[in-house]
Amino acid sequence: MTDNPNPGGADDPLLCLMLSLPERIQQMNISALRSMLQKDCVPLVVTVNQPYRVLMKKYAKEGLDPKKIYVIDAVTQYSGGTCDLGENVRYVTNPANLTDLGIAITEMLKHMPDQRRCIIFDSVSMLLIHIPSVTASKFLHFVMNKLRLSNVDGIFLCVEKGLDPMVLSQLSSFVDRIVEFDSPEQGAGLTAITS
Amino acid sequence: MAQKAGKKTEREGIAALDNNGLFLSVFRHIQTGIVIIDPEHHTIIDVNPIAEALIGGKREELIGHGCQGFICPAQHGACPVTDLKIHLENTERTIINKKGEKVSILKTVAILPFKGKNYLVESFVDITDRKNAEDRRIALLGYMNESVLRVRHPLEMTSSNLRQIADQVRSGEFDHEDAGMELRIRANNLEQIAKNLTDLAGAVAKERHDIPEDYRRFLSRT
Repeated sequence: MTDNPNPGGADDPLLCLMLSLPERIQQMNISALRSMLQKDCVPLVVTVNQPYRVLMKKYAKEGLDPKKIYVIDAVTQYSGGTCDLGENVRYVTNPANLTDLGIAITEMLKHMPDQRRCIIFDSVSMLLIHIPSVTASKFLHFVMNKLRLSNVDGIFLCVEKGLDPMVLSQLSSFVDRIVEFDSPEQGAGLTAITS
Repeated sequence: MAQKAGKKTEREGIAALDNNGLFLSVFRHIQTGIVIIDPEHHTIIDVNPIAEALIGGKREELIGHGCQGFICPAQHGACPVTDLKIHLENTERTIINKKGEKVSILKTVAILPFKGKNYLVESFVDITDRKNAEDRRIALLGYMNESVLRVRHPLEMTSSNLRQIADQVRSGEFDHEDAGMELRIRANNLEQIAKNLTDLAGAVAKERHDIPEDYRRFLSRT
């Protein structure tokens, strides 16, 4: 845990690591997004899991307005799929291209409306397919620092027990909270296990 | 006659043994490194051949030399025995050899009162091989952990993803392009996972020492 005395206070960005079972990752993504939109927070989904085109369909099906959602997609080009162009989407060649991913996050945050913003990173577990845990940990530390400095909230999705204690302890020291996702029926679907 | 000699040894202690040449002989032939230190000035009084070999210097060069910062990593005023009052008995420490390299040792320090003065008798054995084996074990554990992280969990996620894709195709939620793209992503991921396995196995085989120190420390605690 960080020393932030008031994590998630009115002026402080809240960074949290959300854990779920592998089959609940998609539900967790939607729940986190819904929760952010309900708080009038502009969400930026950074996906290394599902492509933009598929995500947008899922969001629309769930009643979430795709126009309000910004996306950085690191898998469509990687799969050789068609990149649907739009104001709210940026593409990165593949999930291992951390330099471009970092630049895309910086640019997109500048491009987003000047109100409360939040990043939803889907997911730490999928990122680990493409890069070693040490590199992933450094990259996520860099992103989290950037979010704090830019006053942007961050939700980092991860498969429960998908991190070894070393990586988990490193990430825990960067975030304000670790949240266990139970089910979407439970309000926002979040149960804080630490605060 | 022998009884008389025994009584003399008891009375005169180590000096008598030294006179007989026994102490010196044991000192020279014991298969343990021994360094005798003057704790007042932290200077080396004597070293035996095993200590000489481990340090890599001649006895004549070592005698009279200060021990701190020379063969011992502790600096002036921070001697673990005389300043920090640490009891060292079969404790893992390091000794600095002539090349300036730190050698892992198992060390015991005893205080030897001799002719009205105290000396430190430092005895030690080289545990470099044991440390290397331990490092190797930690490295293997590290690679096994990384394998779980970068292979097992991603496989579980991919399996879950494929089931969801199948459901979405069945329900008509996905068109051909969506399904194709999703399947290509999962296929690429599976290729990458297989590559991760090959890389990890290769890394173990090549005995790469690129596991970060923090990670090693963490693993050595478990």
